[in-house]
Order: sequence, then structure tokens, then C-alpha cells
Amino acid sequence: MPRPHIEPFVDRDVGFKKLGLPGFRKGIQYKMLSMDKENGSCTMTVQYDAGFKQPPGFSYSEMELFIMEGHIMIGGKKCEKGTYIFAPAGTSLPAFSTSEGALGLVFYNFGPPSFQESDSDHQNADKSQQRKMISSYDGLDWQVPTLFPQTAPGCLLKILHLDPKTFGMTFLYCMVPGFWQDNISYHDVAEEAYHIWGTSWMMQFGDLPTGGYFYRPAYINHGCFKSDLGILAIGRTDGDLHNYFHHDPFSSPEENHHRAAAKLARMKPALYQWILTNEHNHLPHDFEFPDDTYSTEGYDSGIHMHDDGTSHAHKASGAHSHLNTPKISKKKSKK
Amino acid sequence: MTLGSTTIKGNLRPKFTKEEAAFIKQELAEQIDRYKKIVAEQEALTPQREKWVKEFLERIQSRGFHVHAGLKRVIPKNEVRPRDGRPLQVIF
Ligand SMILES: [Fe+2]
Repeated sequence: MPRPHIEPFVDRDVGFKKLGLPGFRKGIQYKMLSMDKENGSCTMTVQYDAGFKQPPGFSYSEMELFIMEGHIMIGGKKCEKGTYIFAPAGTSLPAFSTSEGALGLVFYNFGPPSFQESDSDHQNADKSQQRKMISSYDGLDWQVPTLFPQTAPGCLLKILHLDPKTFGMTFLYCMVPGFWQDNISYHDVAEEAYHIWGTSWMMQFGDLPTGGYFYRPAYINHGCFKSDLGILAIGRTDGDLHNYFHHDPFSSPEENHHRAAAKLARMKPALYQWILTNEHNHLPHDFEFPDDTYSTEGYDSGIHMHDDGTSHAHKASGAHSHLNTPKISKKKSKK
Repeated sequence: MTLGSTTIKGNLRPKFTKEEAAFIKQELAEQIDRYKKIVAEQEALTPQREKWVKEFLERIQSRGFHVHAGLKRVIPKNEVRPRDGRPLQVIF
């Protein structure tokens, strides 16, 4: 698992550290929220000190920045709190400065933090997506989530970024005062979030206050939920977000994974059967993105359980069919 | 899993510099400590959590379970899966 389950972590409980990596200008302090142990990609709270200045330049990784406090100047444009910036890997951002300092969240999606001074893009810059700068507080309206099944009334979204291939999202979300949702949820994707303001409560983890953060891998139970006074938060997923709701507080991630697969078989039977045909040999192909290749090599399908009660993890290239691998009985799910 | 897009895979500078490797090593060591602290804190919350779970199971059998948006359903007792001694693990 490249990033561990970090939940909850309150960044206000720890101090800032100076960011001393070569390339970066002096005046950036950070708190590490989570880091991928294989590629160094990470999420950090960052403090730009008053008077901080950075020339035009790019990151070797895709980068997202959200300004929570103060304001910054980018290419002569004043960006207030609520500004969201998306920079594809290798795309140059204009000069950046802050006279009074600013507090932000920064996401490096493919590698460790990096900055290379340059007023032009890297020769291999990712041209498939565009640089984006959004004033999210006054430029976007709150929307009711269009996810089915949907979160309880009183949880609203502003979508900041939607990945065209994976449907991974970066979004603001809020809960109104008195919000409550009595179900337990999990997803097929990892989810991370940071509380810009306010406290919410989850049955597993208790209160998450202002400055509270989590990185939660797929299939982990979370909820029920409530918030007495409301919250404002920023969240992200690394793929399509489906809410699997249920009411078994004791189900394991392995059982949740099984249940998700069973739902796929019920909801998309043609797709499910196609994937299973010819053992595991069907690799997909997308005419919209013909150069993409999909391989099961190195894909960790996770631990799963067989009807004889044994469980194991295997790389999906192993040629055995699970067509007849069935339900876990109550006894066998006991751990 | 890495958050963010997968329109390209990996950094444009795929090999870590010496400084990056040292930074990652240090941060990952600190992350292990943060993780251990979280596990201990969440372990300590177990008695309180057991109470919250009991209250949740009572509420879904009286006030209702959120099926979709504002749609709620009162869960009959026979649909509440027996615990059968299963632990209440929350950090994985
Ligand atoms: Fe969730």
C-alpha cells in the first residue's frame, strides 16, 4: 500500500518545518500529511512566509495548490483564499509572491516536491490537461452531489478538478450545521480530505476538527457521520467515487471488496462476465486513448478468501478463475 | 495508490536526486511514527466506539438508515448481521 491509512491526523498539533529541497526559494515551511512510500508523492500543509517570492517555474510532478489563508500574487494577478491551482507535470507557472504570507495545501501527485526555475514548459510536459486557476469561494456554486447512492441532505460539493480518465476528483465539500448521515460507507478508491474549518464526527474515528486530515485507502469503513456546527473541507479521490452504503460496523476491507465485486456483477453483468471470460486474459483497450496499455502486472488484487476458508493475496496475472468463488459464510469471515 | 490524475505515469524526473531520496527517507520514517501514534490513539478510543456502534445499530432500527440522499429505511432486527465475535478494527 503506497500510502498508509492516516486517520485522523490534526496538523495543528505539530510544528512547521523549513522546506530545504534544492530549487525551492527560502520562505516555505511545511507539515507533511501523507507520503507515498514508492514514488514520494505527497500532500502537505504549506506556509509561505511574508515576503516570499518565487520566479516562474515548473514541478516535475503534477501539482495542485489550494490557498486557505492570506493571498498570493501569480503573474501579477491577486489570488485570494479559496484559489485552486492545477498544474500538469512540467507546465510553467508565472512568478509567485506573497507580501503578507499565505497558508495553503499542496499536492504533488507523482513524485516528491520539486521546483525548477523556468519561464517555459519542460519538453515532456503533460499536454493532455490544461493549467487551471479557479477562485472557488466566489467563482463556483455549491451543488448537490450527483452520486448514486447519494450522501444525506446537507452535504454539498464544488468540483475543482475531474481527471478525464480516472474520474478522480478534487473538490470542496461542506456539511451544514446539524448534518447527520446514518450509514457506513466505503469506496473502490482512496480518499483524502483536510478540514479547512469546522468539526465533524465519524463513528470509527471520533471528531475531526479544523486542521484535521485523513488519507484512507479503498474499502475501509467510515461513517456514520455528523456535524453539529458544519464544516468546510477539501477532498480528493484517485478514481470514480461510488458510495457503497451498508450497516455492518464490523465488516472487514476484504469483505467490503468482495461485496463491491458482487455489486459489479449485479449492476454491470455484461462487463463483469466479459472480464472473467478466458481466465484473466482480457485486457481492456480504449479507442479514445489508443496509446494507453493496461496490464495486470504488478497489480495487487488484495487479499481474498476462497470457499474452503483459505485466503491469499495474488498478482492478478495468475491464471485461475474465481467464477465459482462464492460467498463468505459468517463463520469464515470471523477473524 | 497515488491521488491525482493518471494521464501520465510518474514524475518527469523519474530518478530521485540525492536530496529527494534523503527527504523521502526522513519523511517516511516520521510517517511511520505518526501512523503508530494514530493506531494507539484509536485503540484507546475502543470502549467509546463500542458505545457509538451500539447507538448506531439502535438508531437504524428506530429512526432509520440512510439508503440514498434523504431516503431512509428502518432496518428490521433480522437484517442486522450478528457480530459473531468480530473485532472492531478501524485502522488498516
Ligand atoms: Fe467517503
